[in-house]
Amino acid sequence: MPNPEPEIANHIRRLRFEHGEMTQDDLAKQAGVTRHTIMALEAGKYFPSLLLAFRIARAFAAPVERVFEYHARESD
Amino acid sequence: MSDSEKWARWTLGVVALTIAAYGVFVAFLGHGPATSAVFALLTLTAIPASSRRYFKGRRFDEREREIAHKALRAGFSAFWLAYIGLIFAIGIVKGWDANLTAPVWVFTETLLWAATLIWGVEALTTILLYRGGPRA
Repeated sequence: MPNPEPEIANHIRRLRFEHGEMTQDDLAKQAGVTRHTIMALEAGKYFPSLLLAFRIARAFAAPVERVFEYHARESD
Repeated sequence: MSDSEKWARWTLGVVALTIAAYGVFVAFLGHGPATSAVFALLTLTAIPASSRRYFKGRRFDEREREIAHKALRAGFSAFWLAYIGLIFAIGIVKGWDANLTAPVWVFTETLLWAATLIWGVEALTTILLYRGGPRA
């Protein structure tokens, strides 16, 4: 059975690359979380709270919708 | 690997060691107060520094906190299910009006098994949730 696409996708990895190859550790410090949580976010294993989403967006000086994308399911 | 995962793996190892030691003691000494001594091994769960992270000023982030809460809830849910199961098993086997007499070590050992169950399920759930998907 194929894995359904996650409801919330993110571009954290690409944005880190675009911001001078910012390390996961740097982003984690700016967002106030551990590097493991950043790794889980990038792997799509964790959906952040609204607060964390805004903190990450702020670290990239970007609006939150540039970092995170919501994919509505047909049932939504 | 995060500190919480290290704690979970260590705790699961301690629980497995305790269960194995209990089996060996029962095989050689039979059930009794001496066998209950193996539960002293559970004190090994206090060894990893990560279990004292709050006292060292470190804090969980939101994902770690969410996983810790879910794992603790799973541990107590398992305890609750086991408790209800035990009550029903005793009631059905012995009869609901039966009087039970048991030595004190049975009571203390039951409590120690409960602690073992809670720690074991909490540690296992922690490991599974760290490996888990978007909802973890």
